[in-house]
Amino acid sequence: MSDHDHDHPPSHPPAAPRRDAAMPVAQAETASPPPPSGGDFIEDAGSKALSEALRSSFNIVKVIMVILILVFFASGVFTVAPNQRAVIFRFGKARGTAAEQLLGPGLHWAWPYPIDEVKMIPVGQIQTARSTAGWYSISPEAEALGQQPEAVPSLNPATEGYTLTADGNIIHVRASLRYRISDPLSYAFNFVAASNVVQNALDNALFYASAQFKVDRALRDDVAAFKETIRSRVAQLVTTQNLGIVLDPADVEVVAPVYVRSAFNDVLAAEQDKNKAVNAARGYENALLSKAQGEATAIINQGQGDRSRLVQSAASEARYMTERLPEYQRDPHSFRQRLLTETWMRILTNASDKFVLLERANGGASELRLLLSREPEKASSTQTNQP
Amino acid sequence: MKRNALTLVIGSILLLIFGLLLFFFQVRQTEVALVTTFGKPTRDITEPGLYLKWPWPIQKVLKFDKRIQNFEEKFEEAQTRDGYNILIRVYAGWRINDPKLFRERFNGSVAKAQTDLEGLIRSAKLAVVGQHPFSHFISADEKQLKFVDIENEMLQSVQPAAKGNYGVEISFLNIKKLGLPESITQKVFDRMREERQRFVQKLQAEGQREAINIQSAADRDRAKVLAEAEAEATRIRGEAEAEAAKSYSVFEQNPELAILLLKINALELSLKDRATLILDQRTPPFDLLNVPARSTRSGEK
Repeated sequence: MSDHDHDHPPSHPPAAPRRDAAMPVAQAETASPPPPSGGDFIEDAGSKALSEALRSSFNIVKVIMVILILVFFASGVFTVAPNQRAVIFRFGKARGTAAEQLLGPGLHWAWPYPIDEVKMIPVGQIQTARSTAGWYSISPEAEALGQQPEAVPSLNPATEGYTLTADGNIIHVRASLRYRISDPLSYAFNFVAASNVVQNALDNALFYASAQFKVDRALRDDVAAFKETIRSRVAQLVTTQNLGIVLDPADVEVVAPVYVRSAFNDVLAAEQDKNKAVNAARGYENALLSKAQGEATAIINQGQGDRSRLVQSAASEARYMTERLPEYQRDPHSFRQRLLTETWMRILTNASDKFVLLERANGGASELRLLLSREPEKASSTQTNQP
Repeated sequence: MKRNALTLVIGSILLLIFGLLLFFFQVRQTEVALVTTFGKPTRDITEPGLYLKWPWPIQKVLKFDKRIQNFEEKFEEAQTRDGYNILIRVYAGWRINDPKLFRERFNGSVAKAQTDLEGLIRSAKLAVVGQHPFSHFISADEKQLKFVDIENEMLQSVQPAAKGNYGVEISFLNIKKLGLPESITQKVFDRMREERQRFVQKLQAEGQREAINIQSAADRDRAKVLAEAEAEATRIRGEAEAEAAKSYSVFEQNPELAILLLKINALELSLKDRATLILDQRTPPFDLLNVPARSTRSGEK
């Protein structure tokens, strides 16, 4: 009686046990009447014992029947686990409408098999679809060790998966997508293998997305959009195919083929070199310009310094002259002599070397030969020619 | 009598059950059924529920799975309109929607149906691929890309035949895999490498150009800043000269004295630092040494 949850369509088997159970009863009934009629003539112990035995076995059979009936009804009790929903099919048709069709976790009762049929559907559980239709062939062991496949100069379509990008390049893509069943009835009863349909939709999405992304966008520049395209394509297929699932974001991995990977890495390196060169140039620019600013400030400061020096010295000279003017006007000659002598005194005090040439007896100038020191500019010889 | 009544009740219940089993059958949600009368199909049942029929020798019930079956065909070469060879594989979902026709055609065997569907889908696939250039399969240009249209065309071209000849409805048909023949992949790789090398060269050139641009701009800016500063400094000096000139107007009162002071100043400045002086006795104050011969004082004119 517990075969109500079997899948094969049975019309006769469930009836058979009940008939078997009923037969002994019928036999017992038909067998029991004779003893009383025969009992009047033969009162021997044997037949009495036989009738006793038959009667008690009949009682046992009755008890068994009652138990069987109880078992029959009790077999309709079933429990639904927290991660399950149950649907009762009465004569093949789902009972109730829409949301009421799904029985939540707990204890439930349904008629046993030929009338009701209970189907359990797993829900809430997160299912995962993985697609390696666009991935190179690699054994799980090698994958776990982080090994890369050999760099082969061509890809055998029978073993190697890859996708074609919008600009006709070859890339490897793989994805895994988690989804939850949102409409268990559709997922479980409309498809022979719904998970395969999801898987196929994911395969399709990889090629669909690759077909509209250029290799650089798919690999680096816009991976997020690439992933989103895959996910939304799957979502679109799943909706039109009425699978009754909701999707989580897809987990997508995109790599360049091993054979050309070094070329892709070269581009990366070149990009970094470029950035380095540009950064170095910017560094040069910054250093140069801030130095130039400093220099400019220095130049202006110097100009301002010159200005104040010039102005002040002019002023002081003017003042000096104004002060000295009356003195000069009084006696220009002696003023001049005094001034000159004062100046000479200062000069002679500061001068490092002093030579005085006495005039020759004949009154001609004496000749002097000098070996100048190695600092000609500063130690320049000066022949004063004072009249 | 009591026992006889019980017997009767049990017997009639059994009979009822037996009769029900003979006259009724149920069709599950996942099934379609075909009722045959003396072997001839007479009734299609596509809705689940409990149905009546004549008992066995007269009517028979055949049940088929009406859920969507998966179908995937081979990954094989097809030629596009512009002569490219591509590898393409499609998958489809199909379900039995005409049990009578389905039984007639395939004797109810899903496997046989798959074989025939393969032929149908394959020829539709090749035909549709042949109508499109390669750029309809992969393209960055949305207008060029006809990925979805190609799938729809395939689906539309198989649907009528599947329905009319096989009693099967094809619910969806999509591309599962797209590729290139092995020899072509080699060329693609070569092209990819060349493309990458071009990028590398381009990046190098760009890097140099940008660096030079930045550096030369910096040099130019520096020169400009310095020139401006020089100009400013010169302007300041000019102002100073003008200001100083005002002070020098005092000198005009007595140019002789002014020149004398300037000369003396110049003399002192030029002999200020580490100078070596060679003098004769005519230079004051050494003219003091010049006592005996002439009593004329030098410098006196």
